[in-house]
Amino acid sequence: MAAVQDGPMELDTEKETKPEILSDGTSKLSGNAASGTLSSSPLTAGGAPKQEDQQTLIAVLQFLRRNKLSESVEILRREAGLEDQEDSQTLDGSGGGKGDRDGGEANSLLSRVSITSAAAPQIILSTSVTNEQLDVSVVLSAYSQQGDPSLYQVYYSGLKNFIESVLDCHRAELSQLFYPLFVHMYLELVYNNHENEAKAFFEKFGGDQECYYQDDLRVLCGLTKKEHLKGNEVLLDFRTSRFVLRISRDSYQLLKRHLQERHNNQIWNIIQEHLYIDIFDGMPRSKSQIDSMSGSFAGEARREVNKVKVFHGLLKEPEIEVPLDDEEDEAENEEGKPKKKKTKKDSMGSKSKKQDPNAPQQNRIPLPELKDSDKLDKIMYMKESTKRIRLGPENLPSICFYSFLNAYQGLTAVDFTDDSSLLAGGFADSTVRIWSVTPKKLRKVKSAGELNLIDKESDDVLERIMDEKTASESKILCGHSGPVYSVSFSPDRNYLLSSSEDGTVRLWSLQTFTCLVGYKGHNYPVWDTHFSPFGYYFVSGGHDRVARLWATDHYQPLRIFAGHLADVTCTRFHPNSNYVATGSTDRTIRLWDVLNGNCVRIFTGHKGPVHSLAFSPNGKFLASGSTDGRVLLWDIGHGLMIGELKGHTDTIYALKFSRDGEILASGSMDNTVRLWDSTKAFDDVETDDFTAATGHIHLPDNSQELLLGTYHSKSTPVTHLHFTRRNLLLAAGGYSSQ
Amino acid sequence: MASPKTVPKDAQVMMQILKDMGITEYEPRVINQMLEFTYRYITTIIEDAKIYSTHAKKSTVDADDIRLAIQCRVDQSFISPPPRDFLLDIARQKNQTPLPLIKPYTGPRLPPDRYCLTAPNYRLKSLQKKVSSSAGRITVPRLSVGAVSSRPSTPTLGTPSVQTVGTKVGTPVSLTGQRFTVQIPSSQAASVKSGHEYCLKSHGNLFGKMCTNPAATPTTPTVQNVLINPSLIGSKNILITTNMVSQNSSGDSTSLKRKHEDEDDYDAL
Repeated sequence: MAAVQDGPMELDTEKETKPEILSDGTSKLSGNAASGTLSSSPLTAGGAPKQEDQQTLIAVLQFLRRNKLSESVEILRREAGLEDQEDSQTLDGSGGGKGDRDGGEANSLLSRVSITSAAAPQIILSTSVTNEQLDVSVVLSAYSQQGDPSLYQVYYSGLKNFIESVLDCHRAELSQLFYPLFVHMYLELVYNNHENEAKAFFEKFGGDQECYYQDDLRVLCGLTKKEHLKGNEVLLDFRTSRFVLRISRDSYQLLKRHLQERHNNQIWNIIQEHLYIDIFDGMPRSKSQIDSMSGSFAGEARREVNKVKVFHGLLKEPEIEVPLDDEEDEAENEEGKPKKKKTKKDSMGSKSKKQDPNAPQQNRIPLPELKDSDKLDKIMYMKESTKRIRLGPENLPSICFYSFLNAYQGLTAVDFTDDSSLLAGGFADSTVRIWSVTPKKLRKVKSAGELNLIDKESDDVLERIMDEKTASESKILCGHSGPVYSVSFSPDRNYLLSSSEDGTVRLWSLQTFTCLVGYKGHNYPVWDTHFSPFGYYFVSGGHDRVARLWATDHYQPLRIFAGHLADVTCTRFHPNSNYVATGSTDRTIRLWDVLNGNCVRIFTGHKGPVHSLAFSPNGKFLASGSTDGRVLLWDIGHGLMIGELKGHTDTIYALKFSRDGEILASGSMDNTVRLWDSTKAFDDVETDDFTAATGHIHLPDNSQELLLGTYHSKSTPVTHLHFTRRNLLLAAGGYSSQ
Repeated sequence: MASPKTVPKDAQVMMQILKDMGITEYEPRVINQMLEFTYRYITTIIEDAKIYSTHAKKSTVDADDIRLAIQCRVDQSFISPPPRDFLLDIARQKNQTPLPLIKPYTGPRLPPDRYCLTAPNYRLKSLQKKVSSSAGRITVPRLSVGAVSSRPSTPTLGTPSVQTVGTKVGTPVSLTGQRFTVQIPSSQAASVKSGHEYCLKSHGNLFGKMCTNPAATPTTPTVQNVLINPSLIGSKNILITTNMVSQNSSGDSTSLKRKHEDEDDYDAL
């Protein structure tokens, strides 16, 4: 039928600029509904009588077409078309550009009943200016289009039947459509005040959705009125951001053909407006592949997002002369010492003089220069690393567990210094406590008056500046006004950061054990903070859905990483300090470039909020843990998931790679620490060749082989893990007696 | 958990709501907290709605009032984070500026002092007036308003240059300053000593502080017994004190530190 076919063609051309206000159905029912929306729109007040005429015309057209009286259709259309144009022109005069599009729509899509053309002005606003207008009401009006509410169920089950009838290989891909369509249709019904239909729709089809969406659906079923939608930021973001689906070209063609054959294109509308279909050429994906990547609020990541080049290599270590007076090793080998030390340093530092192509330039971001104390630290580090145990499947690390007693479930954050000499705990009573792990006690620096009196030239001046009277095993830092959710030591052990529910991040001095600065920027709880591996910069992420990059000497953030759809729960620096990874409650992990604040990678696949992140020491891989008990491994360079480690039964709050990256340790609320063989997990991947175009890997289900050991604590959930410089694993958690 | 028949209906409803939202494990106190919150929220809204309806001179509270009350409360108490497009906007602005270069060798890298929490958050106001027995004289400590005159020991007073003091007395501040420059020279010590006029504010602001008077030596006191400073006469009462004998012991440390505070605290005349 020629008339019908015209419609879709013009649809395609116009779809970027115009909304599809197509909807089928009887005019009467929707007419009533339309008059409801009419009252809200000033433009349509004058146009109401004309609308009813138009509707009867269109109804007549439908009748004629159904009875295949095509000539009559043409004649009527020609005549009615003129009238429609006049209508549109009058609307033009009254509504400016809006009427124009209305007329255009009426002309080209006469075969469809455009019942809510009155509501069209609002829709046009929303789709064309979503970028500019920041008004919430504009966003909400994105749902002003509507079909007949009672037919939504029909549309949905129609689609369901179609997808079930399709070939197996396409079925898995097309099933991805169910969830976003379901949510958008439900929200449309709610927004247009069809509460009963919405509830019925939800009951009928809610149970069909994937299990990992059930939590979201539970929240959704609590929203039955339009007012409920207004305050819910997460849902607003869900509706404005387009849900991304990756479908192969064959499956997509099938779908398109089917939807355009039918009259009810409500589904097509929704797809056009709210979904983004990332088409790729290649084999359709299997169900398991899809399942592994799906789960986030906004679908998967578009392929071009993950194509940006990321410099994941490490920065060159600076050349440091190791002193000769090392009495521990080969004391007798006097003349050989300098040479030996030099070679050792080279092997540990950069491999060659050539620049690693994957490493960023040294001066890509400004980094603080090394002070003398830093150089001493580095020398200590190198000495310790000579004594490091090489770990492997046959050589598992020993685990030392620090249990916090009498914490009464108030322990919310733990951190160790890099040399494992200090331990900090953040508590729900807003204090931060620092303990010395070594027998050496904690001392404060003397007061200014006393410092004047000491001999500055003496060798042990660093001990003399410490006040012996204040020596104690632990120190308490008070200052926050809410539970402390995260603590982070600086690499030079001079500062401690703590972030709290009161919205501030505080910098504490570990020389005087007092608070130096309070960084205010997030006005909402700050869930995580992390110092850069070189000091000076730190990143924080909180409830306001952004992560901020700060420098210790600026009271305002230097970069704001905005893009997540829900709270940012975990923030980590890359070992080269040029990138920041953030995990969020929207189940995605994003990698941000510090230099310009751009998001360079989006990793989807978790089915629950992401609570822990760990970069591998070589900078190439990222591990993430979430509430669904899985640890996922990601290749940063290619932007792909390369491994999945199943085994934990509860949220994973602690993840750490061993010092050389051979073992990944994960600690979770199920009171266990598990060790995984990360060399094997990454090796398997490197030998495969990626399908670069589609970027889909078939993940082997080898979690069992990769699990090297499970270690239970009595009833202490594991909050933090840390490998000492010699590869001893330290774990920390608060003992809870139930 | 109490058995269902003894649990009040509201609590049962709350338990059902928690179950519907998928929360299976919770402490029993949670129900009480939720009920309290609900009660508080609803009564606040209804009270506000009543106010709005009386303002609109309506006889009963209707749905519009409730709606308005909810809207106002939501803006006040339940503030949600800024919308996403706003965040993207400010992020774009912030991320355009290049990262600042790091100055080398600047010690601890902290923001300007205004934004730090490193300033002292206290100020000392009252200082003890100390009496020493070194002089062997009877000292009559008098209460006085004035700055501390702490001074190290300088035994001798040469010529009591009273007259110089007289001129300086009128300005307490300078007096203070003068005192603190006195470390050793006796002449100044004398002036300090002699310059111990103190004024008492007439309107009852008595005894801003006690002062110690770093006196000179016992030899000198005879000189400055009474001094009346004509400039101080006016609307104020004057209290004149004499012969302060001082200690020296605690003077040192205090003098080093208290300079600024004393100037601040010296009650102006």
